[in-house]
Amino acid sequence: MNTVKSFLKKAKTFLIFAGPTTFIFLSVVILPFIFGIYLSLTNWDGIASDYRFIGFSNYQTVFQDQFFWNSFLLTVKYVLYTVVFVNLVAFILAYLLTSGVKGQKFLRAVFFVPNLIGGIILGLIWHFVFSRALVFIGKKLSLGIFSYSWLANPQKAFWALVIVSVWQYSGYMMLIYIAGLVNIPKELVEAAIIDGANGGQRVRKIILPLMVPSFVVCIFLTLQRGFMVYDVNLALTDGGPFRSTELISMHVYKKAFLAQEYGIGQSQAFILFIIVAAITLTQVYFSKKWEVEM
Amino acid sequence: MKKVRLLTLTLCLMLMFSLLSTLGFARATVDVTVLNSKGEIQTQLEEIAKYYNRVTSGVKVEIVPCPVGQSPFERTMAMYSAGNAPTISMLDPADVVRFQDKALDLTAEKWVKDAIERSLDRSTLPNGRVIGFPFTVEGYGLIYNKPILDKAVGGKFDPMSIRTTADLEALFKKIESSGAGALVISPMDWSLAGHFLPVSYTTQSSSSSGINDYFSKLRDGKINLATNKQFIGLMDTFDVMKKYNVDKNDPLSGTYDRGPELLGQGEVGIWFMGNWAWPNINEFDTANGQYGFLPVPISNNPNDYGNSQIPVGVTKYFIVDGEQSSTAEQKAAKDFLNWLVYDKKGQEYVVNQANVIPAFKKVTVEPKDPLAKSILEYVRDGKTLEFMTQLPADHWSVVGASMQKYLAGAISRNGLAAEIERYWSNLR
Repeated sequence: MNTVKSFLKKAKTFLIFAGPTTFIFLSVVILPFIFGIYLSLTNWDGIASDYRFIGFSNYQTVFQDQFFWNSFLLTVKYVLYTVVFVNLVAFILAYLLTSGVKGQKFLRAVFFVPNLIGGIILGLIWHFVFSRALVFIGKKLSLGIFSYSWLANPQKAFWALVIVSVWQYSGYMMLIYIAGLVNIPKELVEAAIIDGANGGQRVRKIILPLMVPSFVVCIFLTLQRGFMVYDVNLALTDGGPFRSTELISMHVYKKAFLAQEYGIGQSQAFILFIIVAAITLTQVYFSKKWEVEM
Repeated sequence: MKKVRLLTLTLCLMLMFSLLSTLGFARATVDVTVLNSKGEIQTQLEEIAKYYNRVTSGVKVEIVPCPVGQSPFERTMAMYSAGNAPTISMLDPADVVRFQDKALDLTAEKWVKDAIERSLDRSTLPNGRVIGFPFTVEGYGLIYNKPILDKAVGGKFDPMSIRTTADLEALFKKIESSGAGALVISPMDWSLAGHFLPVSYTTQSSSSSGINDYFSKLRDGKINLATNKQFIGLMDTFDVMKKYNVDKNDPLSGTYDRGPELLGQGEVGIWFMGNWAWPNINEFDTANGQYGFLPVPISNNPNDYGNSQIPVGVTKYFIVDGEQSSTAEQKAAKDFLNWLVYDKKGQEYVVNQANVIPAFKKVTVEPKDPLAKSILEYVRDGKTLEFMTQLPADHWSVVGASMQKYLAGAISRNGLAAEIERYWSNLR
């Protein structure tokens, strides 16, 4: 009797505090997710009222689809470069801006600003920079590398994407690193100085190990954002030239809504979900092991 | 104390009245939303709606734009899924039948009898039910700037004089030696694979069944494009165009906006595009409105089918929602469509404000826009090709990428042919 009552009481408290969010989470994330898996087993085109259950043949199509895997490999390449460069740039910036440079608070704000601009707007601004501004400068100063639009060349367009992403995210990651750096106890660093450790040794033996939690968070965020990127891809290159910079999200979107093969698009999205979940979970699991106790 | 109570009462009453009046107001107007997928005439359509709302009581027509880069199909689908379907949706021809279980039956409408020949082909279901209103007739080809060409040929330029690829190349040379650029190729995928390449499809046969036969052979992988006469001829012309393209050093960097600017200002003599570009050209016009269309030649024999014709067809249909809209809204939508066809003011707006060539015999207003006039001349002479509006939905995007590769010199002609063949044979 008593346990039932206390269970009811607990349930009531839970419903009051977490009920609305649980309901919303279930209805806008979990249910569509499950329904999406169901749709990946049908031949729905996205609009027709009747569609058939066709088993796993969509998945079979996806596994044989060369374009999907090309786009996926390109995305992996993109993620690799952005993760490395974003974190490198962000950490260096954070290190410099906590070492007591003049005007460091102002500079922190400046580096964070790109993150406040939406991806579409940012993509359009950089589209202008790459296709007009740099070309203009390149032609005036006859610099070969800038004389033609970067966005019209598959390799350079890919690097344009990487550059813009690094520019966009390093400010945000910098903030996380700054928080991590500021939280390192001063006495540890001072003790190291007294023991005669030089700058490089201090970074390697004291700062980096204590910063692992920040790295875990930052790498997780950049990995996940890299795989899911769509807005910058759309506004900057729109997959061009000739679909050579079409990252995986855009590929899935085009398959589902443009080619009107919703079932196949949904199967691609589900495969992508499994891969990304596996990669990020592995990353978090392994980097947790690196953390040290103070 | 009594005063305060009286005040409260008055306030309450006022509040109630205002509430009631807003409710009453809301009930009296019928909202008709129109999804517009022709971005270039958004402002003009808004003006039409504004005028219509003023002269018609109880109806409020609102034009909703379809975002740039999103296909009308994607947009309409999203709005249907959101339970917020537009009362009228402007769709591409190939998408109309996909909405057959959502669209209202329009067979009994008066305009069905007044539509020009074949304009209802893509909006009529096999059982004879008409579900789409043909909104625009469009055509495309090589648009020329007459003063520039007059100067190049040294006299009056005769559009009939260009009938073969060799004629075209000679013309390009003359334009270049007169000081202007010959032409600009806009590298958008929708232009290259939605309009340019389909010339090689539509010239396969002068009958629809012949063209459809060609498509089914393409799907079955029975066509060898590398030996197809029309494909080779069109690509020969494309090679010539590439050679004289003012952007040939950086062929993929151009944008749509560059075309009308160069042509209108007379920096180039020719631009491959359709009559929808008139409002854009008009902004830069220095030729006093003297423009026209040349056919895209596909051989060196002037009498070949396609060398004196340009593709013309209905490119946008309206469907009326029959699923989520109320009867009153559906009626208002039908009235609006009728107004566009039969009201003198409606015709005037459609033809001369929105620069749309209507698909109805009863429209007597003559267009002022030179490109529409040029198209009407081709229509009156019977020199039209079928506009390929039945292509698969992602044709322009996938094949467009292949065409861009060819334009940039990243693949050979055989490579292009192989990619096009692969696209068609992989279709489900």
